[in-house]
Amino acid sequence: MNKKLALFAAVGLTAALALSGCSSSSSSSSGGTQDITFLTHWGPDQVKQLKSAAASYEKSHPKTKITVQAVPFGNLLSTLRTQGSSASGPTIAGVYDLWIPELVKDGITDKAPSSVANDVTSNYSKGVVTSASQKGTVYGIPNEVDLYQLNYNKALFAAAGIAQPPTTWDELTADAKKLATGGHQGIGFITNWDSGVVHPFLSLLASDGGSMLNDDGTKSALTSAQAEETAKLYQTLVDQKLTDTSMSTANASTTGPYLDNFANGKTGMIIMANWWESSLQQEMGSKFSDVGTAPIPVGPSGTASSAISYSWDTIVNAHASDAQKKAAWDFLSWLNGPDSGTGGSSEMGKILLSMGSMPSRTSDIQANQSTLGTPFLTPYVKALDDSTPFPTVLGGQQATDAFQKDLEALLNGQLSAKEAMSRGDSDINSALSAAQ
Amino acid sequence: MTMIDNTGAGALPGRPRSERDRIRRRPHRASRNAFLSPALILIGVFTIVPIVLTFIISFSDWSMLTPLTQLRWVGLKNYGSVLTSPSVLGAFKNTVIYVAASVVITVPLAMAFALLLYTPVLRGRNIVRALLFATYVVPTTSIVIVWSNIYASGYGPLSTMLSAVGIHPPGWLSDPRWSLYSLVIFNVWQMLGYYVVLLIAGLTQVPEELYEAAKLDGAGFLRQTWSVTLPLVRRSLFFVGLMTLINSIQVFDPVYLLTQGGPAGSTETISYDIQRAAFQYGQAGQASAMAVTLFMLLIVVGVIISAFMRRRRA
Repeated sequence: MNKKLALFAAVGLTAALALSGCSSSSSSSSGGTQDITFLTHWGPDQVKQLKSAAASYEKSHPKTKITVQAVPFGNLLSTLRTQGSSASGPTIAGVYDLWIPELVKDGITDKAPSSVANDVTSNYSKGVVTSASQKGTVYGIPNEVDLYQLNYNKALFAAAGIAQPPTTWDELTADAKKLATGGHQGIGFITNWDSGVVHPFLSLLASDGGSMLNDDGTKSALTSAQAEETAKLYQTLVDQKLTDTSMSTANASTTGPYLDNFANGKTGMIIMANWWESSLQQEMGSKFSDVGTAPIPVGPSGTASSAISYSWDTIVNAHASDAQKKAAWDFLSWLNGPDSGTGGSSEMGKILLSMGSMPSRTSDIQANQSTLGTPFLTPYVKALDDSTPFPTVLGGQQATDAFQKDLEALLNGQLSAKEAMSRGDSDINSALSAAQ
Repeated sequence: MTMIDNTGAGALPGRPRSERDRIRRRPHRASRNAFLSPALILIGVFTIVPIVLTFIISFSDWSMLTPLTQLRWVGLKNYGSVLTSPSVLGAFKNTVIYVAASVVITVPLAMAFALLLYTPVLRGRNIVRALLFATYVVPTTSIVIVWSNIYASGYGPLSTMLSAVGIHPPGWLSDPRWSLYSLVIFNVWQMLGYYVVLLIAGLTQVPEELYEAAKLDGAGFLRQTWSVTLPLVRRSLFFVGLMTLINSIQVFDPVYLLTQGGPAGSTETISYDIQRAAFQYGQAGQASAMAVTLFMLLIVVGVIISAFMRRRRA
């Protein structure tokens, strides 16, 4: 009898634990209403705007109920990993384009319906569409786009007698020499942050006619003459002490000395993405007007400037029910379409601009010319069409991290240009094959 | 011949003692199990099951985006990668250096502070003790913001002070030769107060008479410390050493928040690599193999230290 009691107690407790752990799954529909969840890493202000847009949509679509689930950026991917494979997980998620290959491989993300795919291919720049696609199939609707340009301090340029920002690598080196006096560094190269290290290098490489991977994205292309030229540019700047790694470290919140030194007028030039505008404004105050933006200087083998770009997309959970998926795609089409906002801008465009991000939809860029037409942002907007999307391939993140180490070793004088590219080539190939 | 009395009060006559004990315990067994079951189930669900799962996952290829039922068995491949990957081996090397430097600096320093703060003549020792312990209580995330500014080159207080006395400051977090040791300094600063409090608790257990006897024998402070204090607090010292080792092996927060493993991989540690492999790269199998290897390593180190201490006691 006692044994039976103990057994019941054990089974009961286990069942209670199991039930309490599993009972959080939400029903996908109730009374014909589709419940969809939108997972995002946006801050409170943008979440408020998104909720307001969702409420507005619900008014005209009473059979759809939208819940916004916000997590910090650092928890976004882990939330997707722990909840994304379930039908009760988020129906819609905002994701970094580099994550898409893995999400597609594991069957997490739904293929965009043909109407959505056609809308994406017609209304977004080619690079952004490429990033939202895998093998020609569109999996997400792009929203935010970021790309790199050369930012420079106009006051320091004037003091050094430099009239124009550099357009070639020779001019870049010559200007850096003039700027690197009295505790200043000519040009800053960020360390301790994967994208901050790799993207500027790849932007210079793209402006020299080279690329990180081969055309089909299966192997490294760092043994090219252009890659070695780009690495030699770094080595020259390091050897001539025109760049100082101690002034350009980043911390986990992607701020730190690299931002402080540029904002405080200690760094003459730096290659950075458009999104840091708000950080600069905050730190520089009225001196923000000293910041100039110019296209990435062109290398000796290059013909035109090209910057690395990356984007964010909204995807739909492939494990959701068909009705939920349809409701989700319909909502996303509306949210990103020109009819959801005012003056031809989408609600998504408005949300992105409110946090200082650049929308990728052509109609949003046109409708918000007044906001995007600032001296700081104009070169970024102009560079969008000729940008080089960061390759969204399986193992892209591992490859970035591996190459980051080699570039940091080059910047710290531990590896020569040739050694860094040779090691980078091998590391990237290992990372790509490990991810297959 | 000594007779064993088997007929105590309440004993069941005619049966051997062991059997009678078993019979006496029987009614309690079920209630004991019932009372223990909530705790045991919780431990089982949240500790043993995850450990077993980690072990199983370490033999498979899994991205965490698919159900556990879709694990793809790869045998010892993940362990092969752990033992041959230059990146993982580099992380192991960095972890060993970090742990060794932390133990070598922290334990003697904590002992020195404990001796200083245990001295009855020192005024304000309670304030110092509280201040030292405060670094342990404040969350790492908050402290890291301060330390990232302390380590800032050019305008950080550490660099400014060194420059003021004519010493060229290193790139604390930007120079691959310095970055790991900068994290060690941070770790020592953060954990020292906790270990000092533990050692002071150990010092209170040393009988005062032994010091008096030593004084009568003409022993000075150093002799007393060497011959009386240290032998008698060796268990506390062992515990502090073991805690420093275990805490240091698991270092993650400062790496994640201050250096992200850089520059040039100089601060990549095993815990950081495990997190990155699992949550950034979706290689839960590889991450689990690293976690199991680290777990085994901890057990081996713990056993070796325990055996060493047992031999010393013997």
